[in-house]
Formats: sequence, structure tokens, C-alpha cells
Amino acid sequence: MIKHSIIENVLEAALSTGGDFSEVFIEDKYVNTMELQSGKIEKSISGRDFGIGIRIFSGLQCIYTYTTDFSEAGLINAAKRAALAIKGGGNGTIHPIQKEIIQPIHTIAQMPRTVEHARKVAVMRKANDIAKNYDERIKQVGLRYIDEEQNVLIANSEGKFVEDTRVYSRLSIQATASDGIEMQTGFYGPGAHAGFEFIENLDLNHYAGEAARIAVTMLEADECPSGKFPVIIDNEFGGVIFHEACGHGLEATAVAKNNSVFANRIGERVAPDIVTYIDDGTLPNEWGSLNVDDEGEKTRKNILIEDGILKGYLIDKFNARRMNAEATGSSRRQSYRFNPTSRMTNTYIAPGKSTPEEIIASTEHGIYAKYMGGGQVNPATGDYNFAVAEAYLVKDGKIDRPVRGATLIGNGANTLQLVDMVGNNLAHGAGMCGSISGSLPVNVGQPMLRISEITVGGTKGE
Amino acid sequence: MTINEFQEKLLAEAMDAGFTESEVYYQRSESLQLMIFEGEIDSYETSENGGIGLRGLYNGKMGYAYTEKIEQASIRFLIDSAKANADVLDEDDGTDIFEGSEKYAGHDFYSEELANVPIPEKIELIKLIEKKTLAYDPRIITLDYCVLQDYSEDRVIANNKGLSLKEKMNGLVIYISVVVKEGEEMKTGTYVKMTRDFGALDADTIAKEVAEEALSNLGEQSIPTKKYPVIMRYDASASLLATFTPIFSAENTQKDQSLLKGKVGEKIAANVFTLLDDPFHPDAMAGSNFDGEGVASEKRIIISNGTLETLLHNRKTAKKDGVETTGHAHKSSYKSTLTVAPMNMYIAAGTKSKEDLIASLEEGVLITGLSGLHSGASTISGDFSVAATGFHIKNGKIVSAVKQMTIAGNFFDYMKDIKETGSDLEFMPGGYGSPSLLVKELSVTVD
Repeated sequence: MIKHSIIENVLEAALSTGGDFSEVFIEDKYVNTMELQSGKIEKSISGRDFGIGIRIFSGLQCIYTYTTDFSEAGLINAAKRAALAIKGGGNGTIHPIQKEIIQPIHTIAQMPRTVEHARKVAVMRKANDIAKNYDERIKQVGLRYIDEEQNVLIANSEGKFVEDTRVYSRLSIQATASDGIEMQTGFYGPGAHAGFEFIENLDLNHYAGEAARIAVTMLEADECPSGKFPVIIDNEFGGVIFHEACGHGLEATAVAKNNSVFANRIGERVAPDIVTYIDDGTLPNEWGSLNVDDEGEKTRKNILIEDGILKGYLIDKFNARRMNAEATGSSRRQSYRFNPTSRMTNTYIAPGKSTPEEIIASTEHGIYAKYMGGGQVNPATGDYNFAVAEAYLVKDGKIDRPVRGATLIGNGANTLQLVDMVGNNLAHGAGMCGSISGSLPVNVGQPMLRISEITVGGTKGE
Repeated sequence: MTINEFQEKLLAEAMDAGFTESEVYYQRSESLQLMIFEGEIDSYETSENGGIGLRGLYNGKMGYAYTEKIEQASIRFLIDSAKANADVLDEDDGTDIFEGSEKYAGHDFYSEELANVPIPEKIELIKLIEKKTLAYDPRIITLDYCVLQDYSEDRVIANNKGLSLKEKMNGLVIYISVVVKEGEEMKTGTYVKMTRDFGALDADTIAKEVAEEALSNLGEQSIPTKKYPVIMRYDASASLLATFTPIFSAENTQKDQSLLKGKVGEKIAANVFTLLDDPFHPDAMAGSNFDGEGVASEKRIIISNGTLETLLHNRKTAKKDGVETTGHAHKSSYKSTLTVAPMNMYIAAGTKSKEDLIASLEEGVLITGLSGLHSGASTISGDFSVAATGFHIKNGKIVSAVKQMTIAGNFFDYMKDIKETGSDLEFMPGGYGSPSLLVKELSVTVD
């Protein structure tokens, strides 16, 4: 994308005031977004994002600058201006950059940019028809298709030089059901670190059908009771609870400054021994996967909690300094506009031994959360909340009526202790995770789990 | 190639390539962000960047494309992409390129004075805020965020119908989050302020405000789960309003995505509820002299004493509904197509102070913060069930912080259930403002 000599000159200019590490991140990204509403393609936009981020470390200080000016003079100026924020010290040296060839784990069969719009639209129309025809109460279907081809070049003063292409494809389906008075929605958004082959091979009957089914089911649902209940959380996107409840607290962003309940607790028991929690950026073509992270480190399988014992954190190069630890291939950013930091990739609870049938049958009275919405956590305290998109009451070991408006609240460290059954049906779900370095594709996953007690907020009262 | 050359060439070549109308939207911004940790600059970020978007009418349909790479080859990319995007649309979306309004307000959104504050002064201020906050009380253990950010932005809309609009704006944001600990109880408190008046920022005041906010959250108690009268503090109220703004968009009523469809002229809220959008409100930061398609912006009443006066329109939705645009075409950046959104939407203030509202309650809950709004609120059904922080009120007084809770209700009912609006109108950074509101009741579930 840019000549090596220019990159080396920029890395050097960045160290001109005494910084001890410099890095260049060049991003050239093509994006296509299309929207279908009321059976019609209403929006279609294509774009090219292009920019360059320059990062300098000086001890525990991090300087970051970005620009869309790609001239050599412009880049050198940007690097020098950023370097002015460093006051003396340091002994930065530049190692000649050496290209590292990445063997991509995530193979792309059909680059989305080579696929004409008509084929993408055909899939959207088919999904629309399936959702629309599911039930006469489905009044509206909204579909959003997105593909991205992100080309990155990462080079640093230690001699690292990596290029990678990340391809993302996603189809989101939202169905709205109405009985003439009320409206309810259902959503499903499968995505992958893959090309158009992922979209063309999607089981639309399943995904579009489920979005419509959730909307109609919620139309028929009662108000959710409030109180403390055993909660069964189904597999796949249900894993969002541990993403919020403990994933964020295991990121170095929070741990390095002791702003996490999990800081300084490696080797301690933080969960029952049936809980193993893993972040794995190498799962082939999964939505949160990467060949290399945004510092050019190869992604890996990081075991965070093993049989209930805290084993590790997700660490980026900068926070590694404060923590006196090694980076774990977990540094990510939404784009060149963001200073990278430790983030999750594909995070999941490992499968256990119970069957879903056993878990439900052994629950006398509780809530079954079939599909989760999103959530949020305060990493400093571990207090989390999230919405349940489709919930049911459980009575005498059986799934009973659907209920709506359920919100789960609790504290991550406590909830982790209360996992009392782990199913054998691990699956992953795609989501977007927002944090300090932007909004990123992540997978959350788990088998069906039971938590002995969670506070459920609803409208019905106790 | 300079941006001006690029822009002119792009418009000319688009017309040659078969577009009947075309427009460019250009933005360039600069920013500085400082994060302080334990007396040192932990991170220092600067940026300058920009991009350009093309929209044009091709075979009667509006195609869009954008780029951040300003070079000769991008002209072809923009034109070809915009054509391909126009081709795939199902029908003319009813919009065309606007020739411009007769008059623009000419309000100034840029402060030279703020632009001239030297960086060392900003560093000194944010370091001082950290120091004073840490020193305020021994229970304050750390600041998990202590951030100062400033930004400036230029935007240009230019089209083949002779419209050429420019605007410059800037602003500064302080964001602080404090962690406090007493025994085993840990709480946080946050402070956010957006301003163009650097001189008005006082480290002592800010330190006191964020420290008191965090400390007040200590000593939490559980209260019975049931329906309580609720006072939504101005900031919690503004965030709830922001979440439900899409219900006021004509784009959403036209797509059957808002229950306000067909409700213009009807009473949809309590008498005390008046909702306005004022692009020029002196306390708000998100205004502009023109909207995303170049229509002159003006102050509008959306709900007047409970009656829905108008929905928010851009030119396309207005045409469909047979009304005039309200100047709410929204283009969040050159990367976006046009949607509908307010500029500085706020609930009009009443006369009673927050203290008066609290004093008027025999028992209730004061809500000071909401979280999980992005997932726990549906703009389509109006239902919300979200986590909240706040205080238990008894006999007209705050008795304690409440353990983690959720509140649940329906926004359409909530608007009708507002009993009183406070006098303490404040704007949040996103451009939403509210006074504290007294609401008849909401379901409150406590951990």
C-alpha cells in the first residue's frame, strides 16, 4: 500500500524525541451496505475507508495519531507532531522491517467485492419472503446486508511487518409483528469472517424463520415477573452474559490499572469447576476470528478460566508493559481511528456434561432465556445488565408460557460462582462489542447453562 | 489534488457520467484526546482526517458512495459505485437534490477562543481535575477514566443546483469516571461536560461534583420490588428521550416502525410535557444552520402540552406525507445516507426544583443513571426494561442509595404519566436535554 522506505522513515520520525517503540497501522477498507424494508431495497451505499494510525510508546505513555493524508511529507509531519508529546528519555532504535508471511487460517472463497449487487439482493429478498410469510401478524421485515474487505498493513520499530485481509459478511433480519395494538420484534444476525459463500450458504429458513417466530411469540407473551430466579440460558448467543459478566473484566484495559474485580487473582478460584472460559481468535472463519491482531500478533487460543481457576487475561502490547506480562494476540481496534487495546475475539464457555433436557427437567421454577439481546457492564464493579429477547417461565421441569420485558442484572464475579449446570451443546453467536477501541465483531458462545439465581427485572412485579 | 479540485472534478464528471443531479458532502475534522492516569499522560491522541460522499440521481434513483482517499482514482470509484447502488434500488426514493433555502440563521458554532487554548493548559486542567478528585475523599481509590477531548470540524455541502454551504464547529468534552470503595462495597460515579467555554471549567467544582456523585452511591440498601413513583433526574431522562427519539421520525412512521403513525394533532402525553428541537439553543452543542440536505434549520415544537404537533421530516418523508420538511434530514457523516433525526431535542423545563420534586414524594425512587438502553429498550413496542442507579426516597427525603435495580415500563405510557417537570434543564453531549421529571410509577426490581 505504501513503500517500505516511507514506512521506515515514519517509524523513525516517530522515535525522534526519544520514544522507545513506534508502529504504523495502514487500513484500506471497502464496505458495502444494503437495506431492504417493506420488501424493497431502500438503501445501498459503498465506500472506501482509508487512513493511517501512528503509535509511539515511551515507557508507560502512549501517543496515538491518525490521518488520512498519505503523502510521505504528511505522514512524517504527523509522526513528528505526535512525538512532540514525549519529553526526552528513551533510546528508541529501529530494526529493519522484515515481511512476515501469514498463512491465513480463515480462507475466503468469494471476495464480496467481486460479487454483483444482484446476487446479494436475491438472498435478501428470499430471507424477506420467508420472514414475511411466516405468519400474517408479521407486518414488517427489515434486512441489512453488510460486507467488508479490510486490508491492513502493520509495521513497527521492532522490525515487524505484516499484511492481512479481513473479510466480513453479515445478514441481519428484523421482523416486526403486530396484532393491531401492540408491536413486537424478533432479530437474528448471523455473520462470519468469510466471503459471500457464507451468505449464499445460510440456512435462511432457519434464521429468517426464527426472527419472525420470536416476534410473533413475544406478541403472545405475558409480562415477565420480577424477582430472583434460577435462570437457564440457552446456547449460542446466550454467551453474551459471560461476555459482559466476566469477559470485559478479563481485558488488560481494565486489569492493568486494577480497575477489574479479576485483577491480581491469577491462580484463584473464581468459578465452580464446571466452568472453563476461553477466548479463541483462531476458530476458522468465525465472526470474531483474525489471522493476526491489530498489532500484527498471531491470534491464539487463550484459556482465561480453567475448571473454575483464573488462568489468564487478554493482553495488548501497551498494557503488557504495565502488567509486566506478554501480549496474547488480543489487541484490536475498529479502524485506524482507534488506538488499539485488549479486546475479546470469540469467547465461550466450554461444553459440559449435562444435556439440555436434563437442565430443564431439573429446574422446578425459573426463567428460560432462549435468545438474549445485548448487554452492558461496568468493568470496575462487575455490575452487568442485559435484555432477554425471548424468555419463558419454567414450571415443574417444563418450559411454560413466554414472557417479555425480562432484564437480567447482577454482578459478574458473583454470577460466575452461581453456574450450577453446564450443557453439552456448545454453539457460537455473532455480535458487535463496543468499548474504548470502537465497535468490533465478536463471537459469544456457550452451551446451555443454568445459573442458580439471577435478579430478573420485569413489569409484572413479584 | 486539493479537496476543492477534487470536489469540482467529481461533480463535473458525475454529470458527464449520466447523473441528472449530484451533490458532494465533505467533512474534515481534527481532534485531541488526553487520558490521565496517576498524574501522568497515559494516552495522548491526535487526529486529522476527512472524507467525501457523493449522492446523485441516476435513472431517477439516488445512488450513494464515499471515500476517505482523496486521489484521482477515487473519482471513478465514487461514480461507478454510486451508479451501481442506484441501479439496485427498487424505486425512486422520492428525493432530489435541494437548491437551497432562502435564508439561513448564520449562527456561530465555532469558538476562536476555545481553538486558541494552548495544549499545555488543557493538560494542566485535566491533571488538576484528577489530583483534586483523588484528594477529595480517602474512599476515592482511582479514576478509571480521566479524559479531555477537543475537536473541530468543517463541513461542506455543494451540488449541481448551485447550493454551496459551509460550516465550522468545535467543542471540548471532559469525561471522568471515579471508583470509590468502602469496606467491600465498590461504586463508580461519572461526570461528563461538553462546552465551548474553556474558562468556565473549574477543577474544584468538577472534582467535587464527580466525587460526590460516586460517594453518594455508597451505602446501598435493598428495597422491596414493586411499582414506585419515580423522579427521573435530568441526565437519566435525557438518555431515555434519546433512546426513544426514533418514534418521532416520519421515516419510521412511514415504515410502520413507530406507534405514532397517524397521531399528529392527537394528545399523546401529559399536559406538562412539551418537547422542542432547537438547533440554536445556547446550552446545547449539536446544532447547525442547515440539515443534512441543506435545508435551513429552525426551532420547532414537536409536542405542545401533550399534543403531537409534528413528526420529524426530511424532504423525502415530507413529500410522502404531503407536508413541508421540518429540516431534520440527518447525515451523520459522509459515510451515511440521509435519515431523519433531531438536532438538540429537549423537554421544556417546569418551575419546581429537583429538591421540591423529592420533597413532594411520600415514597419513591430517584433515578440518576440508566444502562443497557441499547438492548433493553424497543422503540417499536415502546417497552423498556433497563438497569438503573438511584436512591430511595421516603417522607420527602433521600434515605439511601438503592442496590442494583432495573426499571421497566412503556415509553408511550410514560409520556402520559409525567406529573411534573423540574426547572433543572440540562443538555447532554449527544444534543438531548431534559429537566428532572416526576413520573406516576414504574416497575422497580431490586437485587
